[in-house]
Amino acid sequence: MNMTTIILWTIQILLVPALAPLFIGVTRKIKARLQNRRGASVLQPYSDVWKLLHKDEVISRDASWIFRAAPYLIFATTLVIGASIPLFSTALANSLTGDFLVVVYLVALGTFLLALAGIDAGSALGGFGSSREMFVAALTEGGLILSLLTLALIGKTTNLAGIATAIGSVSFTSFTPIILAFISFSVAMLAETCRYPFDNPATHLELTMIHEAMILEYSGKRLALMEWASANKFLIFIAIGANLFFPHGIADSLALGPVLLGLALFAVKALLFAAAIAVIESSTAKLRIFRLPDLLFTSFVLSVIALGLVNV
Amino acid sequence: MAHFNSQTLLVFATIIFAASVFLHLTKKNTSAIRLYIVQSAAIAALLLASVEEFSPLLIVAIAATVAVKIFIAPYFFVNLTRRLDLKFSASTYMNTPMTLLVIAGLLALTQSDFFAPLSSLGRPGDRLLQLAFGTILISFLLSINRKGALSQILGILSLENGIVAFALFAGLEQSPGFQLGITFNILIWVVIATVFASMIFRKFGTLDVTRMRKLKD
Amino acid sequence: MDTLTSPTLFCLALACFATGALGALLLGKKDTAANVVGSVLAIAGAAIALIFSGAVLLEGTTQSFAADTSFPLISLSFSVDRLAAFFVLVISAVALLTSIYALGYVRHYYGKYSIGVLGCFYNIFIASMILVVTAHNALFFLIVWEIMSLASYFLVIYERREAASIRAGSLYFIMTHAGTAFIITAFLLMFREAGSFDFDAIHTGLATASPMTQSAIFVTALIGFGAKAGIIPLHIWLPSAHPAAPSHVSALMSGVMIKTGIFMLIRITLGLLPEVHLWWGLTVLVVGAVSSLLGVLYALSEHDLKRLLAYHSIENIGIILLGLGSALVFSSAGMNTLAALGLAAALFHTMNHATFKALLFLGAGSVIGATHTRNIEKYGGLIRLMPQTALFFLIGSMAISALPPLNGFFSEWLTFQSLFQGVTGFDVVTKLIFILSIGALAFTGGLAAACFVKAFGITFLARPRSNAASQAKETSPLLRLAMAAFALLIVGLGLFSGMVTRVLGEVAGDMAGLESAATPGSTPAGSAQFTTVSLLNGFAEISMPAVFAGIVTAFAAAALVFFLLTRQRTQAVAATWDCGTDLTPRMEITATGFSRSIITVMQGLMRPGSETEIEYHDANRYFPKTGTVNMGLNDIYRSFIYRPLQVITTTIAGYMRKLQSGNIHAYILYIFLTLIGLLAWLNFQS
Repeated sequence: MNMTTIILWTIQILLVPALAPLFIGVTRKIKARLQNRRGASVLQPYSDVWKLLHKDEVISRDASWIFRAAPYLIFATTLVIGASIPLFSTALANSLTGDFLVVVYLVALGTFLLALAGIDAGSALGGFGSSREMFVAALTEGGLILSLLTLALIGKTTNLAGIATAIGSVSFTSFTPIILAFISFSVAMLAETCRYPFDNPATHLELTMIHEAMILEYSGKRLALMEWASANKFLIFIAIGANLFFPHGIADSLALGPVLLGLALFAVKALLFAAAIAVIESSTAKLRIFRLPDLLFTSFVLSVIALGLVNV
Repeated sequence: MAHFNSQTLLVFATIIFAASVFLHLTKKNTSAIRLYIVQSAAIAALLLASVEEFSPLLIVAIAATVAVKIFIAPYFFVNLTRRLDLKFSASTYMNTPMTLLVIAGLLALTQSDFFAPLSSLGRPGDRLLQLAFGTILISFLLSINRKGALSQILGILSLENGIVAFALFAGLEQSPGFQLGITFNILIWVVIATVFASMIFRKFGTLDVTRMRKLKD
Repeated sequence: MDTLTSPTLFCLALACFATGALGALLLGKKDTAANVVGSVLAIAGAAIALIFSGAVLLEGTTQSFAADTSFPLISLSFSVDRLAAFFVLVISAVALLTSIYALGYVRHYYGKYSIGVLGCFYNIFIASMILVVTAHNALFFLIVWEIMSLASYFLVIYERREAASIRAGSLYFIMTHAGTAFIITAFLLMFREAGSFDFDAIHTGLATASPMTQSAIFVTALIGFGAKAGIIPLHIWLPSAHPAAPSHVSALMSGVMIKTGIFMLIRITLGLLPEVHLWWGLTVLVVGAVSSLLGVLYALSEHDLKRLLAYHSIENIGIILLGLGSALVFSSAGMNTLAALGLAAALFHTMNHATFKALLFLGAGSVIGATHTRNIEKYGGLIRLMPQTALFFLIGSMAISALPPLNGFFSEWLTFQSLFQGVTGFDVVTKLIFILSIGALAFTGGLAAACFVKAFGITFLARPRSNAASQAKETSPLLRLAMAAFALLIVGLGLFSGMVTRVLGEVAGDMAGLESAATPGSTPAGSAQFTTVSLLNGFAEISMPAVFAGIVTAFAAAALVFFLLTRQRTQAVAATWDCGTDLTPRMEITATGFSRSIITVMQGLMRPGSETEIEYHDANRYFPKTGTVNMGLNDIYRSFIYRPLQVITTTIAGYMRKLQSGNIHAYILYIFLTLIGLLAWLNFQS
């Protein structure tokens, strides 16, 4: 356990929380440009967090310890996930928490606590925000798990880093299931990160909120934590999408050269993903909530087809 | 069947069989009861003939059979008819020609290969078993066909006689306790049946089953 | 160790239960004494059974003992192999804790109903469940199965002045006996092949049975034991019977009684029948997938707390059947290693479900006892008034929603892993069924989480929605002690899942026909230690302690960092934003509203309906006084399955009635015709 390993591990653990607000900023910037505005700087989310940390908090008297503890727990789950997924080197894989089911269910844990926090303050809006969030989350699970399963069966392991290594060297015949699984995964990703067409992350209208409604009662540092955790989730899903479906270029050792290349390629791929998401968000309308199950079931069916095509 | 030869056996079997057929044709109570007495006497004679070894229990059993079937049961029936002034209802479901046709049909069945498993119990070419089995079937028909309650009782009793005759001719095991049991059974049954018949007559004024409408509705 | 695994200990446990039953009954007039005697002896019996079964499980040898009776065909023979020991362990652990709970909870019934009767039937119930899983003779098994059903029936109708309880009891009685009829058919089929009712003789006798007979035994056993387990569509008794019983009995019924059906299914398919056919495993998979999905969807629509939990039992039985089904499919293909994996997943989930379902029912019992209503819509804000109950209920909710790092997540992970193996290497139909089962399991997990956000959130969080909820008080320490023990068990099973998997792997290996593993701590399916569980040469690896440690560390780090960063900030407490109107409980989300969107999406399956009642001030119906909207589901099982069955049966009975003319001549004619018919048949036979 020499110095480089320790440094690289620290980077692995801190990369997601450090970079997440940047990618949120990039997405917002591209959306702004597409709307013919200049938009805020890409570093604006960092300023937002800073601002919120310097504000006092107001907590509802109907809220319980769940409201107070939830932001920390949700942020903690995003940290654990962020440290377990392959970001720039598969040598930093761990077989302890790197199973894709662990990642999916840690995300579910965060959603569970968020929904509870939404109900806790007893406001009219948090309750139905939680209802909608659980509605979308319940229907997304199928597509998400099955799309990652397709990759796992192609790569013959359920460990995320192992999948990344295997997909990097996969033959052309397995390409079709990977593409289908990717489409299914992207729908699930949009749902989980509360992007269009599922949710509007910038809305101020309660009738159109899902995620925003649940954090409506938060203020000060807890709101900062919630926003930051949401940004972390965004980057985590982008990282999974980039490094599992298109893992070419990820480092497979801890040597300096491959690691730097891995970091650079990760940044490029993530930026491309963020740009793609921004373009999708700008070109689709938010769907009516009862239209969302159609989209989610389509994602599920695509994964089923992809699984059927995997020949082992 | 040590003591009788096959001719005598055939005579008795014919008596039993004829009694059951004539039961269909009688129009009076008393003649029906007399036919039953004749049939039971034939059965008692057959039982005596079947005694292989002498044992007191067997004699007691046969004596009991004679007593019940020939004396006690007919006494009950005669009492019943006299007390209730029973006019024997001779009405039947099928008229007499049809009845005779069915009887003929049943007899044909007993002769045919249809009942080969049963007739194989006795010696081949033997008419005894067929006659006994014919008695059984015809007694069934009596119970089904006649509407009066008394003829049903007589039909069941004649059925029992036929079964005993069948068992005797087939050489099946006849333990004295067995006979005693059957006899006791018949005694009780006759008692109950007559009591029941008198109760029904008191309520409905008739023993004709088809006229008893109130209970059914 | 020998004393611990001796039959004496087993009989001692049964004797405790018997004494408890008798003692409670004799002390019937004195409430407190009856309760104490019944519960304490139940605790003692359960503790002894726990020690006994734990010892047998760890030691690994089968304990058999028998007492012959003078009746033919039946002998009181017991056989405790590892599978039975595991089930006895689960039963006695849950019974131990629910008896502790009962000590405090039964006070609700003092003066209202006979406590002696409750204690008596409670002890008989637990004893009969232990006997069911250890019986080794089919007739003896049927007798104790019937005793178990009857004891639970009397417990269901315990609150006999409630009409709903009696109705629930009658339905339960009919369904359990319909199931028993199928079980008897299965055993009779086995008897025909084996000539004896002893399980060993049946095992050897069935080795030469025709595939048709084997399949017939499988189908009748599945229907019969499935009715007890509560698979769809034989589940209609569960949602009414479990809520009608007292809460600690509901915990036992939901947590362990329905598992006895699963136990016998495992015993028959993997133990008694010589080989498994592929379509059996596929049937069980389909049944499991349907039960889990429909169970959780029906649970979502409930706003009676105990009915909601009862439907979740159906869902979890579906998940257990998914594991069992995959084990059967692999066993039919000869892949015994994977079969052991599937079976281990099913067994683990059995144990986990027993713990968290019992905890949830105990919590529900406390809440209902404090608020005197079962309607979730009347709860709210209980987390401030009943903080420990809320905490334990939260742990139970998180466990049942399969959230890491608790035990529910690990058993679902194992089930997933065993299902993953079925997607490759089989024909198209099997593959598709496996893929859809994985999809069903994935959706079930999400929907269960949604349901428990609703159940926990609306019960405990926000403001009270009624007077009853605002005046609730925390329950007595005994109740909280029992729930705390369950919560600890849940966390412990999650943390030590590696070691539990190793033991279960050996149990499953015995059943799936594997030779015992060469090295301890590893089975051919993989290796399981405290720190990691690794399956199938590294296909899947997980470390539950690491997940737990990771979350805890990250939480501590985040809390510390942010506390340090913001220690000069203040926190004010104020009212929730009320959009400018008064802040009333009517502003909060309702339970019906929470889940209505999911129900609406599935409306083809769920048939939601709503009834509106409006009371008017005046005769012209211009000014409404009150209005009620009742949103519920139309019961498709009653209308499409059970009602047609009933109509057919009554119609046939009506036709048969014409045969009963009341005319004696007709009856004698029937006898005559039957005689001729029999003779003719005899003729044709020879």
